Amino acid sequence: MTMEIRIMKNILDRNQNKADEVRNLLAEKKVKMVNIISSPGAGKTTLLERTCEALAGKINIGIIEGDVTTDRDAQRLKKYNIPIVVINTEGGCHLDSHSISKVIGMFDLDNLDLLFVENVGNLICPSVFDLGENFKLAVVSTAEGDDKPAKYPRLFIEAMAVILNKTDLIPHTNFNIEAFKTDLAAINPGIPLFKISATRGDGLQGWLDWIVQQLDS
Amino acid sequence: MHELKIAEELSVIVIDKAREAGLSVVERVNISFGQLVQIVPEIFEFAFREAVRDTIAADAALNIEIISLEMRCLSCGAEYAPADNFPACRSCGGLEITVVHGKELFIKSIEGE
Repeated sequence: MTMEIRIMKNILDRNQNKADEVRNLLAEKKVKMVNIISSPGAGKTTLLERTCEALAGKINIGIIEGDVTTDRDAQRLKKYNIPIVVINTEGGCHLDSHSISKVIGMFDLDNLDLLFVENVGNLICPSVFDLGENFKLAVVSTAEGDDKPAKYPRLFIEAMAVILNKTDLIPHTNFNIEAFKTDLAAINPGIPLFKISATRGDGLQGWLDWIVQQLDS
Repeated sequence: MHELKIAEELSVIVIDKAREAGLSVVERVNISFGQLVQIVPEIFEFAFREAVRDTIAADAALNIEIISLEMRCLSCGAEYAPADNFPACRSCGGLEITVVHGKELFIKSIEGE
């Protein structure tokens, strides 16, 4: 005879439990972890290059590089002489908390202040998996169009701040910054927005000041 | 394609719970997804089918309930369905809001014998 077994359980329970473990460990070690999420090519690695250029040496930064394949991003960041661990997802479209938990022990957490996780380039999947981060940072570039907050609301609801990159390209695109700001304000009112050109260095100071402030919060 | 990983996790729970309950076949799996999880049901169905292949849940029907977005205004306490992803409070226009429903990702029950 057919019977129904009630379960009422989060399907990603295992991911959540592991994320909570990572979060507790980092809290104990006073390390802040930032989960950076964007489309491929939005400029996550260039943002990290500029950030390391300005802050490595002043604060202890570590990076987890999530990539489908290759260690090219890590190679670009090597010159800043900071600990970097690469996770190749071999086709996977996002990182999960188990992959973070496996590599977290490779960092000297007693001598680390800020751990950036560069997630796999993708606006949907990474926003569903808690990694144990303190907060998510959304990076979007003007070349992608101004409709990203409206089309991918989950990420922009969950993010603690948004970086709009490649502002130097606005004259060459149909990107409407007012439309972007209106959509973003509707989805996540009051969220900090940093308009930057990571390649030219425009607008970086506001971001750098903000991220340093987060270390004390 | 987060559907793949979610389907894989679901299959582990379904088979575990079915064994625990002594079921020899799972006929139906009842799950709820919030709108913000952005699951494509057809892809999820495909991924689940792969995950449960050759198990006691191989022929289980998937019953997916999609839960609409619902916000709560932190100023006036109103709970409401936002219009077109524009979540400002529909009662007082407040902008300090929180998601009440829409992020669900849970298995409610399994049926079988």
